[in-house]
Amino acid sequence: MTTLFINDEEVTVSAGTSILEACREHGADVPYFCYHPELSVAANCRMCLVEVEGWNKPAASCCTPVGEGMKVTTHSESLAKDREMMMEYLLINHPLDCPVCDQGGSCKLQDYTVEHGAKHGRYSEVKRAVVDHDLGPFVSTCMTRCIHCTRCVRFADEVAGTGDMGVLNRADHMRIEGIVEDALESELSGNLADVCPVGALLDKPSHDVARPWEMTRHKSTCTQCPQGCDIVIESRGDKVIRIKPDKDGVEPWICDRGRYVHDAFRADQRIVAPAVREKSGLVNVSWDEAIQASVDVLKDKRVGIIFSPDWSVEGLASIRLLHDSVFKDAKVAFDLHRRDMREFAFEEGFSMSSAQIVAADQVVILGSDLRQRLPILMQGLRKRGNEGKPVTRIGAMNYRTNSDLSADALIRPREWVAVIARAMQQLKDLGKTAAGMDAWLEKVEERHEAGKLLADALLADSCALLVGEEIRSHSDASALIHGLDLMMRASGHAEAGADGRNLIPEGMNAQLLSAVFGDIRVSAGDLLDAASDGELDALVLIGSDPMGDGLFSMQAKRAMGKVPLVQIGAIAGQTSEFANVMLPAAAYSEVEGTFINMEGRIRMAEHPLRSLGEERPLWKVMMRLVQAFGEEIPVVNLTELRARIESFLPEVSGVWDDDVTDDECLLVARNRDANSMPNAIEPAMSLDVVSRYSMYREGMWVRASSYLVEAGDIHALDDLLVHPNTLKDAGLSAGECKVRTTSGDYDYHIGVREDVAEGVLFISKRGVAGDLSCEVMASLEGGQ
Amino acid sequence: MISSDPKQVKAICFDRIHLEGQTGLEVARKNGAYKFLPTVLKDFDSDHIVDEVKKSGLRGRGGAGFPTGLKWSFVPRNTGKPTYLLCNADEGEPGTFKDRDIMRFDPHLLIEGMIMAGFALGVKDAYIYIRGEFLHEANVMDAAIDEAYAANLLGENILGTDFSMNLTVHRGAGAYICGEETALIESLEGRPGRPRFKPPFPAVEGFYRCPTVVNNVETLATVPAILEFGGDWHAEIGVPNNTGMKIFSVSGHVNKPGNYEVPMGTSLKVLIEEYCGGLQHGTVPKVIIPGGSSTPWLTAEHYDTPLTYDAMMKAGSMLGSGAIIVMDETADLIALTRRLAHFYAHESCGQCTPCREGTGWLERTMNRVEAGQGCKKDVEVLNDAAEHMAGRTICALADGASAPILSLLKHFPEIVEERLMENAE
Amino acid sequence: MSEVEQVHFTEQRLAEIDALVKKYPSARSALLPVLHMAQEDFGYLPMHVQQLVADTLGLRLMIVREVVTFYTMFREHETGKYRLEVCTNAGCMLNGADELVQHITKSLGINVGETTSDGMFTVTEVECAGACAGAPVVQINNEYHEKVDASYMDAFITKVSSSEEGGQV
Repeated sequence: MTTLFINDEEVTVSAGTSILEACREHGADVPYFCYHPELSVAANCRMCLVEVEGWNKPAASCCTPVGEGMKVTTHSESLAKDREMMMEYLLINHPLDCPVCDQGGSCKLQDYTVEHGAKHGRYSEVKRAVVDHDLGPFVSTCMTRCIHCTRCVRFADEVAGTGDMGVLNRADHMRIEGIVEDALESELSGNLADVCPVGALLDKPSHDVARPWEMTRHKSTCTQCPQGCDIVIESRGDKVIRIKPDKDGVEPWICDRGRYVHDAFRADQRIVAPAVREKSGLVNVSWDEAIQASVDVLKDKRVGIIFSPDWSVEGLASIRLLHDSVFKDAKVAFDLHRRDMREFAFEEGFSMSSAQIVAADQVVILGSDLRQRLPILMQGLRKRGNEGKPVTRIGAMNYRTNSDLSADALIRPREWVAVIARAMQQLKDLGKTAAGMDAWLEKVEERHEAGKLLADALLADSCALLVGEEIRSHSDASALIHGLDLMMRASGHAEAGADGRNLIPEGMNAQLLSAVFGDIRVSAGDLLDAASDGELDALVLIGSDPMGDGLFSMQAKRAMGKVPLVQIGAIAGQTSEFANVMLPAAAYSEVEGTFINMEGRIRMAEHPLRSLGEERPLWKVMMRLVQAFGEEIPVVNLTELRARIESFLPEVSGVWDDDVTDDECLLVARNRDANSMPNAIEPAMSLDVVSRYSMYREGMWVRASSYLVEAGDIHALDDLLVHPNTLKDAGLSAGECKVRTTSGDYDYHIGVREDVAEGVLFISKRGVAGDLSCEVMASLEGGQ
Repeated sequence: MISSDPKQVKAICFDRIHLEGQTGLEVARKNGAYKFLPTVLKDFDSDHIVDEVKKSGLRGRGGAGFPTGLKWSFVPRNTGKPTYLLCNADEGEPGTFKDRDIMRFDPHLLIEGMIMAGFALGVKDAYIYIRGEFLHEANVMDAAIDEAYAANLLGENILGTDFSMNLTVHRGAGAYICGEETALIESLEGRPGRPRFKPPFPAVEGFYRCPTVVNNVETLATVPAILEFGGDWHAEIGVPNNTGMKIFSVSGHVNKPGNYEVPMGTSLKVLIEEYCGGLQHGTVPKVIIPGGSSTPWLTAEHYDTPLTYDAMMKAGSMLGSGAIIVMDETADLIALTRRLAHFYAHESCGQCTPCREGTGWLERTMNRVEAGQGCKKDVEVLNDAAEHMAGRTICALADGASAPILSLLKHFPEIVEERLMENAE
Repeated sequence: MSEVEQVHFTEQRLAEIDALVKKYPSARSALLPVLHMAQEDFGYLPMHVQQLVADTLGLRLMIVREVVTFYTMFREHETGKYRLEVCTNAGCMLNGADELVQHITKSLGINVGETTSDGMFTVTEVECAGACAGAPVVQINNEYHEKVDASYMDAFITKVSSSEEGGQV
């Protein structure tokens, strides 16, 4: 610790802190442009000058470390003159077009001009004008306003890892430029507009739409992935203008998916009024008529319910209440990526916090495109990579991470069991074991060398395993996950009866879902097949789109139209063509509700936006249905509902009593004893099918967002990809090929990429080739 | 040959510079190059060498005048990281042209100095960062280095000792700022030459964040003589705290411009009148820029100032790199100031606000003033803009850019006034 | 960047670059020397040559762009066969450099920064060449010519123009 004096006040900070950070910590106001707490220090704006007693010139406080006994002054006549001059230097080439600049009103340059600037400018020469450039759909530029603080360049290098922003030329010809083909490569590109302290980089979708002072801010939780970032929704009236990361939130950044999904809130696809299908199509009706129509469709029927995990905790619990009151025998599913319905020990979600994962000695990504799946967690791993800490990856594709991985192994899904067995063997040989490990190991004969990477990482003092979609959707997932748990115990990272690995769940609220629906849920694929096969009379879809998302689109397409459908939700999507009744439920931005992220972190949304039309919070829709079916209403208000939730999931008790939500996380401990053993699967076909999770395509909200659809088109890969050797082995070349599966033959265009594992058929574009996702294996034949 | 009697020393760096064929190893060796190197490598140790250099009083010849032995002693030992030695041959300060002569006429002297410095600092890889325009000089250095490798003076186990060192010539590509040591390091790492803020200093975190010493050509070329004759010998040349010989590059309005190696403490007047053949016009210079264009101007009243770091500081300027630009009564000082303003505006790396914006502002204002389109307010603007750049930036380029402007306004307000009056009329 | 001209380094160059890279702790340090080589081989550094350098050293294109645009000796545009670079900084200015520039541009009929229509000469003003004892200094294609005056330049221009016409270089 170092003790120093800031404006005569004695303060103590940790050694090596910069003067600026010491001032920030202790409330001494020092102006700055280029400093950013999440970025490296550049020290180029020279706005943060302070005086240090005994020094013959002012010091840039951002890059000067504190010293014992140092006497710092942040305000003096001479500093005031320096700051006035700094502003004058910055403004001589600045266009001073604040009235037409989106940044106006939240602009550091503008604020400091008022605070520190001179009354009049003295510059009478020609001003610089700089050419703008196209950075894609999310960031617009007005480079003449740039003050060259290089925050954006450091962001692209250090946070995004893309390095596609840079500084060209020198002296006052210096300019910031991006090298982009169609768009910035990063999935975090929207943050550029936030890091720019002036109006040079701006948010393109909200460009020229609203001024900062016209907007109201609503704290909320993003439900676009299980990370559940803290967000602030900025709206003018009821219209969402943009979404930003919450400055007081856990993470400083949000991804483009969570940021730009907001145009879906007002998309034509929103369900804003209750509707009933008549001969002419869906016709808007009153709530009473629609509820009655639902009762007509569902009363005394064998019903299947598929819902999205992203509803608030209250909404999800009310679905269970509806089930228990009205549809006691209904089949229920919410997971569109899970084939193996055997229990997963401890169910889904993380056993570590993101911070613990980022700090671990070793991190292993198992079968996940983490950059697309959890962009913010991947950013944390990139940051640790910048510090030289290792990240290992094993999986079917060398997904681009925009950071250096320390080890990378390509394997195909059928090899997972041998990879885990190889790692287990290594631990066993070193005398590290856990109860049940020998039995697991005995079931597997093969060993795959990639397992060495896994075992080596497990041997570190701390190790985080991130288990991704390739394992979750595996037909032997439960056994693979159990194998990983055994190894976490064997290597001392988890105790017996405790969970060790971090399983990336389907969506939000994983802990709640397993507690509330663990005993009644079935596979979504089986449920849809039951509808096709006449075992169900009606379907209820609650915010879920099995035709567009997940692994079962083929089954969903078969089932739709076979049985009547009641659709409840906020977005219509393609299933609405088949809906007999539609009931509007409010979006996540429009409800007061609770959300639990993958780590078990609880967040409450309290100041919702007003709904567009006649939407009601989901729990009210559920209760209305219960009432319409003539059953007793289980809860009549949020307080009662929350009390019921506490009976499902005792861990949440108390969270609604406090005003403050802290960062403590819930951990579920269900299915402790699950111990699935590997099944010997005889591969029937030569190729394993792996389907890509694309952050720009997956999810109803995303497909309703024109911004994200555009980004998805820009970032798209070929429809189907294979390794060149895979084609060679089949005696084929890239182009039109026949894909043979157990369900039939299909013609597709096949592309080639070396970063796909050999023997894998990689489905990169769900929209086109998505129906293949339901297959586990396939083979390739020549084109026609 | 350098005399072992300090009073008799005529030259150190330039001692063998005019000898025929000195660039070739054979001739250079005959003339004494590498003669003392085996003794250094076999009988001296690192501490002894650093001590001798400290004792010699040698101060960096690149411009800042920082004591060389002290700089070397800042390098942490046993960090587990390599230590690098970089020779700063990015001679770009307007008026300076001394290092060029050492390299093109006596390259082996620099190589020998670098081997000795490298040995003292435990260096495995050393680089000479030479300005890109010095293609010929780079080629001469390269040829000499090739010969040195062939003669086991560089490479593995130099002269049969345990000491191994590689030496590589690295050409810059046209950027004055790369003469600043941290910009030089950035450039050598394949980046634009933008200076780094300090701390950390290069001695601790320099080239690829490893301990690094950056020394000027002339500084390194002085090392062999110091080790051969001893630090005390060197300390007796010149005057206390400003010891040894120094090469002065004299240009401008003198009859015999050129490089002159003289003992520190020789007066400006003696150098100009006795060595440089006096002024082209008149007997008293109008302006002398004593240490390269970035140093404040001196006028006739300081003509007798001794050429030492201390005396120049006292006179209100700096010895800098020893580049003396002399102007007689015919010089158009406004045009010269405008030209120097252009130079700094062209060479600013652009990262710090005051320098990036200020240098261009000064240049554009000077353009107008020179063209007779200035106004009274411009004097205030020039003063303010120049004054608030200096000392507020990462490196000293802004200080250099403000020096000519502030000197003009300080010493010759009437000339500026007169030019502004042209406009008023 | 779709219609990119394909350029390659010769095998010999690639071997030279390989050897060069080994002299540094990281390949990135070889960027300036390799750009000098590329400029020697291809005359100047258009985007596709910068891309080639980036690919050869395994660097991002932006890193190469930053360096090319920072240093004055790297040229992104074609110049005349003879680049007449006149130092006009202090030492040379005090010894007639401005008048020399005027003379050269007048006799070639171009402005500073321009190239003669026959593609023979480009005239530029440069910063201190570090040879002030020989002021004024003119660098012609990286070769220093010192104490240059109008008649020296006239003779030079006449000489290379006539040898060019005669088909010899």
